[in-house]
Amino acid sequence: MSVVGVGGAEVPVDVREAVDVSVIVPVDAPSDSLVALYREFSAPLREAGLRFEFVFAAYAWLREHTQPVEALARDGEPIRLYEVGHGVGESTLLKLAAERCRGRVLITLPTYRQVEAGALPLLVKQVEEGCDVVVARRFPRVDSIVNRLQSWVLHRIVNPVSGGGIHDVACGVRALRPEVLGELPLYGDFARFLPLLALREGWRVQELPATVHPKAMAARLYGPGVYLRRLIDVMGLLFLLRFTEKPLRFFGLIGSAALLPGLVILAVVFVQRLAGQGIAERPLLLLGVLLTTLGVQAIALGLVGEMIVHLQAPRRRSYRLRGADAPPRPPTRE
Amino acid sequence: MTGSEVFGETAPPMAPSSAPQLSVVAPLYNEQECAALLIDAVRQALDTQAASWELILVDDGSADRTAQIVAAAAAADPRIRLLRMRRNFGQTQAMQAGFDAARGDVLVGMDGDLQNDPRDIPLLVAKLAEGYDLVAGYRVRRQDALLSRRVPSWVANRLIRWITRVPIRDNGCSLKAYRRETTERMHLYADMHRFLPALAAATAGARICEVPVRHHPRRHGASKYGASRILKLLADLLTLGLISWFREQPLRLFGFAAASALVIALPFALGTALTWRGADGAAGYPYVFPTAALVWLLLAGYLLLLGLVAEVALRRARDAGREPLPIVVERVP
Repeated sequence: MSVVGVGGAEVPVDVREAVDVSVIVPVDAPSDSLVALYREFSAPLREAGLRFEFVFAAYAWLREHTQPVEALARDGEPIRLYEVGHGVGESTLLKLAAERCRGRVLITLPTYRQVEAGALPLLVKQVEEGCDVVVARRFPRVDSIVNRLQSWVLHRIVNPVSGGGIHDVACGVRALRPEVLGELPLYGDFARFLPLLALREGWRVQELPATVHPKAMAARLYGPGVYLRRLIDVMGLLFLLRFTEKPLRFFGLIGSAALLPGLVILAVVFVQRLAGQGIAERPLLLLGVLLTTLGVQAIALGLVGEMIVHLQAPRRRSYRLRGADAPPRPPTRE
Repeated sequence: MTGSEVFGETAPPMAPSSAPQLSVVAPLYNEQECAALLIDAVRQALDTQAASWELILVDDGSADRTAQIVAAAAAADPRIRLLRMRRNFGQTQAMQAGFDAARGDVLVGMDGDLQNDPRDIPLLVAKLAEGYDLVAGYRVRRQDALLSRRVPSWVANRLIRWITRVPIRDNGCSLKAYRRETTERMHLYADMHRFLPALAAATAGARICEVPVRHHPRRHGASKYGASRILKLLADLLTLGLISWFREQPLRLFGFAAASALVIALPFALGTALTWRGADGAAGYPYVFPTAALVWLLLAGYLLLLGLVAEVALRRARDAGREPLPIVVERVP
């Protein structure tokens, strides 16, 4: 995968301190006006006296939409634009951009409007006061009841696993310290759940109420494909948060839910056969066989998962210590 | 006891003088009443010994004043070290963090709730010097509730012993001494601290023995164990069996399972043969037997393929050189 930079060459890390805030805008879909987005969201940062830069990470095929931003950069605005070839998700765009940021604080900003721009300096302030991740929470929710309903459903699913500390997981406007991103499993669509992943790593995550953007008031409904994708993402997240170290607990639960009824059915059919009842024409026998084999398959899959986790164990640690920004490394033996 | 006695017969070269000989690791989770008492008890127990020591206390995301109390003690005594987890990661992870930070050639793990007695540490270390890699304590007069703790524990220990063949009576006792080579070969994740001796035997090839230790009732704070965990334990035991017996030949396990599926398919195939009415079938033929036979065949094929996937994973890990080989002791030169 190649990353092509425009407006500012590759950034040496030692000039990180030169900027207070890096605003990362992952552009993964056609977007109407990135220039307007830049103007709107850079204004409050400028007013607050913060030195900032905007870092756009876009797919190369969106050139049509990113061209105006490139023009702005050439005019001397603090903008950098990186183009990435196809085949990566939004999370990877975010990660690639973050690696090239100079700010002491990072802000992630979606291309669509969620909260008013005034929230940005407040988010930065809260990070500078010692918080690792600060999430804008759209509160009070004054947008369409349709949006709120969708949000409610999402949190119903996610809260039991996350502990319920985050009220607006879906809000993409977040401020964080650059160290945080380095450890998170950011690939696919997991950036959507960044606060939950950060909590899992033990970072301090807080919320900041922010006003809903006027452009975000209308009801948003998506095609069935989008909801299906979201559902798959959430399932992936739940697995990631709870079972990555113990896959057999997950697969074993599913497996025994199929295996036990299957065995009971087979036992019943077997006893009936002994009692002289014909079984060759009974679909119940087939049901028993199918459930049993399904259960065995799930458990076997879980065992392979456990095997992989066990083989991975020597090179990764899942605990995190305070005061250490990098994940701990297993000791290397001579 | 002198330094060389601590190391025993397979003594590695002396560590640099700054590193202590003995590292004691105890995880603490909301133990503000116990922390100071624990530090005093360890100090009293070890100060009579000649070996230099350090006490590594791992604060596992406590919400109370545990970390502050330990930090104060650590500031006053350089032998006390505090590690702080970013959040509550659980006892296994806390133990691993302590092992990773330990500098001694002999490591001792213990509970942070004072149910173990630090006065037993020298006993374990002396036993280790006799030529063992892991010395586990077993609680002789266990001071816990009979029905909620001791009975489930007895059943679990029986199961663990039966599955792993490692003759340990009390897997739940945290007080254990390890040679450094052992802890470096064990990597704790999930809830593996409960099966430490079995894991050490399987992955480090550790020579293990058990010695009786004292056990005190909880003086302060509440026990942090829940009651209903049978399903989890069963899943963990299955994993433990896999690691103990098939970690080097997963295909055997899956191949055996596949063969069983084939054997089960046989009577259905026989039933098919007996009721078969020609390839075109006949009106009303139910197809239950042939379908069932095919489903079992399918399972057998699937299990074989899974076994191959496991072999690939193992091979990759081996090629990457991640897996340390067990400890080898030369008995006859």
